[in-house]
Amino acid sequence: MSNPDTLPKSLLAGYQKYGNRKVAMRKKDLGIWQSYTWQDSYEQVRQLSLGLISLGLKRGDKVCIIGDNDPQYFWAQLAIQSAGCVAVGIFTDSIPPEIQYIVHHSDAVLVFAKDQEQCDKLLELRDQVPAVQRVIYWDDKGLWNYNEPWLISLEQVQGLGRSLDAEQPDLFERSVNQGCGEDLAGFCYTSGTTGLPKGAMISHGNLIAGCDQTIQVDPRLETDEYMSFLPPAWITENTLGLTIHLRTGMVVNFPEAPETVQQNIREVAPQSLLFSARLWENMVAMVQVKLIESTWVNRLLYQIFMPVGHKVAGLRFEERKPVGLFWRFLHTLGEFAVFQPLRDKLGLVSVKSAYSSGAALNPDVIRFFRAIGVNIKQLYGSTEAQVHTLHTGDDVRFETVGVPPPGMGIKIAEDGEILVKGATVVRGYYKNPEATEKAFFVDQDGQRWYRTGDAGHIDSDGHLIYLDRVKEMLTLSSGEKYSPQYIEGRLKFSPYIRNVMSIGSEDSPFVTALINIDFDNVGRWAERQGLPYTTLVDLSQKPEVYELIRRDVEEVNRTLPPAARVRKFVLLHKEFDADEGELTRTRKLRRSLLGERYGDMIATMYGGGDRVQVQAAVKYRDGREGVIETTVRIATLEDEMTEEKPA
Amino acid sequence: MRTDGIQLCVDDVSLNFAGISALLYVSLEARQGEILAIIGPNGAGKTSLLNCINNFYRPDKGRIIFEGHDLTRLPPHRIAQLGIARTFQNIALYTGLSTLDNLMAARHIHMRAGFLQSLLYWGPAQREDIAHRQVVEEIIDFLEIEHIRKAIVGTLPYGLRKRVELGRALAMEPRLLLLDEPMSGMSQEEKEDMARFILDIHERHGKTILLIEHDMGLVMDIADRVVVLDFGLKIAEGPPEEIRHNEAVIRAYLGEDMTEGRE
Repeated sequence: MSNPDTLPKSLLAGYQKYGNRKVAMRKKDLGIWQSYTWQDSYEQVRQLSLGLISLGLKRGDKVCIIGDNDPQYFWAQLAIQSAGCVAVGIFTDSIPPEIQYIVHHSDAVLVFAKDQEQCDKLLELRDQVPAVQRVIYWDDKGLWNYNEPWLISLEQVQGLGRSLDAEQPDLFERSVNQGCGEDLAGFCYTSGTTGLPKGAMISHGNLIAGCDQTIQVDPRLETDEYMSFLPPAWITENTLGLTIHLRTGMVVNFPEAPETVQQNIREVAPQSLLFSARLWENMVAMVQVKLIESTWVNRLLYQIFMPVGHKVAGLRFEERKPVGLFWRFLHTLGEFAVFQPLRDKLGLVSVKSAYSSGAALNPDVIRFFRAIGVNIKQLYGSTEAQVHTLHTGDDVRFETVGVPPPGMGIKIAEDGEILVKGATVVRGYYKNPEATEKAFFVDQDGQRWYRTGDAGHIDSDGHLIYLDRVKEMLTLSSGEKYSPQYIEGRLKFSPYIRNVMSIGSEDSPFVTALINIDFDNVGRWAERQGLPYTTLVDLSQKPEVYELIRRDVEEVNRTLPPAARVRKFVLLHKEFDADEGELTRTRKLRRSLLGERYGDMIATMYGGGDRVQVQAAVKYRDGREGVIETTVRIATLEDEMTEEKPA
Repeated sequence: MRTDGIQLCVDDVSLNFAGISALLYVSLEARQGEILAIIGPNGAGKTSLLNCINNFYRPDKGRIIFEGHDLTRLPPHRIAQLGIARTFQNIALYTGLSTLDNLMAARHIHMRAGFLQSLLYWGPAQREDIAHRQVVEEIIDFLEIEHIRKAIVGTLPYGLRKRVELGRALAMEPRLLLLDEPMSGMSQEEKEDMARFILDIHERHGKTILLIEHDMGLVMDIADRVVVLDFGLKIAEGPPEEIRHNEAVIRAYLGEDMTEGRE
């Protein structure tokens, strides 16, 4: 059994390899990290799995699990899979109707529910889930006086397992060895933005392929530490956590409570981490706040050495130039004074693979972490095919989500949709042939592809650029598609741009943009340049400022296919204003109103003029109202990829 | 006294402040293992009654007997050692210390090691410290305050400080727990959490709990019996259902007009 093809077989292999000599998992309990060796893990799973069998579980049955990250969650999942059954994870914050839907739809016969909170939800649903024979809990707090025979503790189930083990000592191994890679390991229900959740049927082969593809480009050692805090019902925790643990021996640590994750990460100092973009941003904000509360010595050191960190990171990652001796010397000092202590505070002291997934990460956040010595990489994937692309090694770029790992194939469909193939692509959705038909197809070569529903394109270096969901893309008169969200989101990352509305529809041949400059930042920039200005109206129309913003627009254009690039833009003489109804109160653009109000400008941009006369009502600070008249210039960007019109 | 299940007996207690009566001939009994709620409008004398039990105030008349001891003759620290712990309406914690230290400090009434042993942190002193830490950690786990174990109490939000204070009272391992408005100033969610903790304490350890609370809905949900005070007088006593329909209580809470209007 050199290469186990299921998760339980991998557990067995790990147990035979490490036995009692190596820690498999740790959980902080009563303030102390408790260790479980591979033998502990194995025995827990063995007793539990046999217990489930004595409760009447048959091969192919479905069992739901709803609970936080605990060793018991992983043991329950492995016990279910060891019995040849399918584990269905449910998010802990699910409300009873959502739980009812998944438990009912997956045909679950047993449910693991961690604690009182989850058991209460199931008790409430009891009449609506008649197929569920027992509910198994592993945290008895508050359940002491329930006296409800439908509920049974995990220890009781293991007790049943021990009795069965005494009768049939070879049953567990037999059951595990009966499994194969084709067997279903679990269902992951995806929270579809529209319609009911769909249960992606994930096989052991899918999970093992997902793990092996990832660790080929991002190796893990058996001495590595991992902190399990992503929801275990999510595919990502299954791939990056449980499966990698079983395949490489990496130690999995479980936080004391959901609220202590950040503290526990610091204690464990894991080698790999995956945070959402929001979490990375929060960490930067947290550092800024703590710094203000810190001593003046710390603030001074920070002010001295952060620019050094930025300089060196800029040379290394952006300009890709060698770092001179002088800077290297300063950087070493900074490492001792600031970077290393900061990484320690953030729990990033040993991190080798720091990933961000979900929304695009602000380049300034990436630069901050690079300056303190953490190179954050993007990871893009789905429940249906796990990791599609990721940044590998030092080849990390702000605008891309990386390259497919070996074994994964990526291609862009006619309409811009990202298609993926590989051993990780699941068989389909449980009891939903219609959705399966829509999302998966087999090409002429017999390859199975998954339609991600995401739009993107591949740049000249083979990196994938993620734009938006396909249904959010707009079409130009040429039939080409472009992503307003992508353009606006990326442009807003510029410190000089306050707000943007991109324009382009089936009536327009190309994309244009109305841009609000950030008066404070551009003003400060102008002062540094010795550029005199009076008001926003004046500043926004300076040729130098147009040049400054043009560079940002060109930067974003470079990441886009030629047809989807911004060709013309104007810098507005005033800001979009919620009081004038131009923005909603949550500061979202009111596109149709803005389209009307700035109709002249938009018409001129498409008409070929180079300036527009505008009148704008202004309210002065003293309450008087007036009208200003000014000329707004239109900037045109030349595109090296397309032919220019003859002059 | 314990044979008939009565743990605390407040017998005919009166308390005056410069001629103003805070409590007038109040008698009540708390039975072993029950949740007894004391309710009443502002200034009804609820907190004064708790202060008499702690002997922060000495009643002018009457006796308070806890498990055979007359509390009116004992100083507050002796009363704590007898097994009565309390929380306060306006939170009384060491704000400069961590959650953990506040809870450990409450263990001092159970500490036996001498000064020198403790100073050397050797032998029995170390073993004792570990045992106390275990008790404290179990309380931290129980109240779900792991994430603020090392946080300075003064920096915590109000709802969490209330929880730490309950933890401190529990760390004394009392047989009678006095809770003075444990849910005041809390959000609905925090109140529900607190109610769950109180019920769990009661279920798990069978502790007797004497509870003052303003939120009628919560009191009715969790109390076994309710005593109603108004202007220092006990005006009603009984199970929540009965109190809900008691005319005198409705009058005290809603005013005379309402009851007249109903007729």
